[in-house]
Amino acid sequence: MTETTHDGPYLLEGTGLGKSYGGVHAVDDVSLRLSAGEVLGLIGPNGAGKTTLVDLLDGAQPADRGTLTIRGRRLGGPPSRRARAGLARTFQHPHLAHDLTVRENILLGAAAPKLAGVGGLIAGLVAGAFRPAGARFEGTLRRVAEALELGDLSRRCGDLTLGEQRLVEVARALAQEPSVLLLDEPFAGADSIGIGAISAAVRTVRAQGCGIILVDHNVDIVASLVDRVMLLRTGTVVFDGDPAECLASAEMQDVYFGTGGESVAP
Amino acid sequence: MSAVSVKESAGSFGWVRSAETARVLGTLVLTLGVIAWAGGDLFRQDLALLGATYALLALGMYLPFNLAGALSLAYSAYVAIGGYAVGLVATETGWPLPVAYLLGAVASAVLAVVLGFATRRLSGFYLAAVTLLFGVAFQSFLLDAKEITGGALGIGSIRPLTLFGGEVDRRSFIALTLLVVWIVAVAVDRVRRSPFGVALQSSRDVPAAVEAAGIGVPALRLTVLGAGAAIASVGGGLFTTANQTIGPDTFTLSLVMLAIFMPLLGGQGSAWGAVLGAVLVVELTFNLQIFERAGSLIFGIAVLAVLLIAPRGILGYAGQGARWLRGRLTRTGGTR
Repeated sequence: MTETTHDGPYLLEGTGLGKSYGGVHAVDDVSLRLSAGEVLGLIGPNGAGKTTLVDLLDGAQPADRGTLTIRGRRLGGPPSRRARAGLARTFQHPHLAHDLTVRENILLGAAAPKLAGVGGLIAGLVAGAFRPAGARFEGTLRRVAEALELGDLSRRCGDLTLGEQRLVEVARALAQEPSVLLLDEPFAGADSIGIGAISAAVRTVRAQGCGIILVDHNVDIVASLVDRVMLLRTGTVVFDGDPAECLASAEMQDVYFGTGGESVAP
Repeated sequence: MSAVSVKESAGSFGWVRSAETARVLGTLVLTLGVIAWAGGDLFRQDLALLGATYALLALGMYLPFNLAGALSLAYSAYVAIGGYAVGLVATETGWPLPVAYLLGAVASAVLAVVLGFATRRLSGFYLAAVTLLFGVAFQSFLLDAKEITGGALGIGSIRPLTLFGGEVDRRSFIALTLLVVWIVAVAVDRVRRSPFGVALQSSRDVPAAVEAAGIGVPALRLTVLGAGAAIASVGGGLFTTANQTIGPDTFTLSLVMLAIFMPLLGGQGSAWGAVLGAVLVVELTFNLQIFERAGSLIFGIAVLAVLLIAPRGILGYAGQGARWLRGRLTRTGGTR
C-alpha cells in the first residue's frame, strides 16, 4: 500500500499543519497523505501531538498553519462540516451520551447526515413528531452492531465498561459511513474480544475503500493493522514508512527507550 | 429514564408499537377525562385553562432546556407575544384568530432564534442572562408602548374564536385547548425519541460528538429554541382567547421560574412529565385552599424534595414501578 501510485488527488492530504499553545508547538509542520483503502498508524509517546493532530484534521481545534484537502477539495470549518465531507472520528476519552442507550448513541451517527443544515434539522424535527423511532436507520444500526459484536443495544451507555464504550464509539463512527475514519486510541481499555472486533471492523471498511488513521500507544496492535506508520515526537514527524521498519528504526528506539526517558504505555 | 424508554428497550417484540399506542390512547383518555371534569364549572374551567397554558409553556421549555440543556428565560415574553398577537388580530383586523396563533408563534420563534444567535458562541449562562434581561425589558415595553399594547390596561373585548361559521363558547374552547395540549405533548414526546431528539440529548452531554457526527450544535440549539418559543406562544394565544383579555401582568417572569421546575417535578424522562408538573403546579398554587397563599412555597419545597429524594421525577419512578411489575408478570406468565 505504501507504494500506491496516484493518478488523482489523495483521499486526505494535509500540508504543513501546525498548532501552538503559547510558545509550545503541539503539532509542528506535519504533512500527511492518506489514500483510499489505506490504514495509517500514528504512534508516539504521550504529548507527541497525536490527538492534537487528529483534532486538526477533524476541526475540533482550528489549525494555526497548513492546509487540508479531501479528494483534492479544501477541507475546513467546524467538525460538522468536515463530517459531511466524509470524516468520522472517535475520541481518546469516549464521548457518549450516558443516559441514552447503545442503540440511540449509534443512531446519532446513522441519522446525522439526514440532520445536516438548518433544512435537515427542521425536517428532522417535524418528521420526529410523526415518526418516533428511527426505523429507517435500522439496517445500518444492525450492520454496525453486528460488526462490533455489541449484543444488547438497549443498555444505557453509562453502564458500559470503558472497553464497551470504545466499541460503541467505533460503531457510531462507522454508522456515518465515512470515507475517512479517525480512530483515537480505540484499543485503550478494550479487552481482547473488543480489540479483535475493532481490528476486524477496520479491515472490513479498509476493504471497502475507507481511509483510516489509527492512533494508539499499543505499537504491536498498530503494526499488525496498518499499511504505513508515522512516528511523532514533540509535534513533529520523525519517521514515516513501513511499520516493520519503524519498529526496528533508530528513531523508534530513541523515542521510546532513548534519552527522552518516556516509557511505552500499555 | 422514564417508563417510556423502558418499554422501548424491549422493542424487538413489537413492544414499541403497542407501548406507543397505549401511551397515545391512555393520554387521550386522561385528556378527555379532564375535559369532562371541567365541564360547565367555571372555576374548574379556569384551572383546566391555566393547567393547559402552563403545560404548553413547560412543553416549550422542555425541548431546549430539559433535552438540550439550553436555558432561555424569555418564555414570559413568548407567551405574551402569543397573547398580544391574538389581542391585536382580534381588535385591529378582521382576520380569523388562528392567523394570530400562527403569527405569534412565528414572531416568538424568530425572536428566540435571534436571542440564541446573539449568544451562540458564549456559554449557556449568557443565553440565560440575555433572555432574562429581554424578558424584563419586554414587560416594560408592554407597559410603555401604549399605542400598540394598550399599556397597563392591555387589550380587552377580544372576540371569541369562530369555527365553521359559529362562535366557539368558552367550555368548548377549553376542551379544544386541552386537546391541543395532548397533541403537542404526543408530538414533543415523539420528537424526544426520534433521531432529532437523540441528537438533542447528546448535544447536552457530548456536544463534540454531535459536531463530529455532522450536526452543527449551534444550528441544532437555535432550531429547538425557535420550536420551543413557538409552542409556548400558542399557549399564550389560547389562554388569551379563552379569557378575552390580555395585559402586561398576565404573563410575568415568575411564571418562567415556575415552568423551569415543572418537568423536574413531573419527570424529565418524558414530555408528559412537563404536563404532569404543570397540573401539579396549578393544583398546588391555586386549588389547595388549605395552603392559602403559600402554594408557591409548598411548590418550592416539593421541587426540592423531588430533586433530593426522587431526581427522576414522578413519572420516572412510576416507570420504574411499571418495569418491576412487568418483570414480575413476565416471570410468572412465561416467555412473551
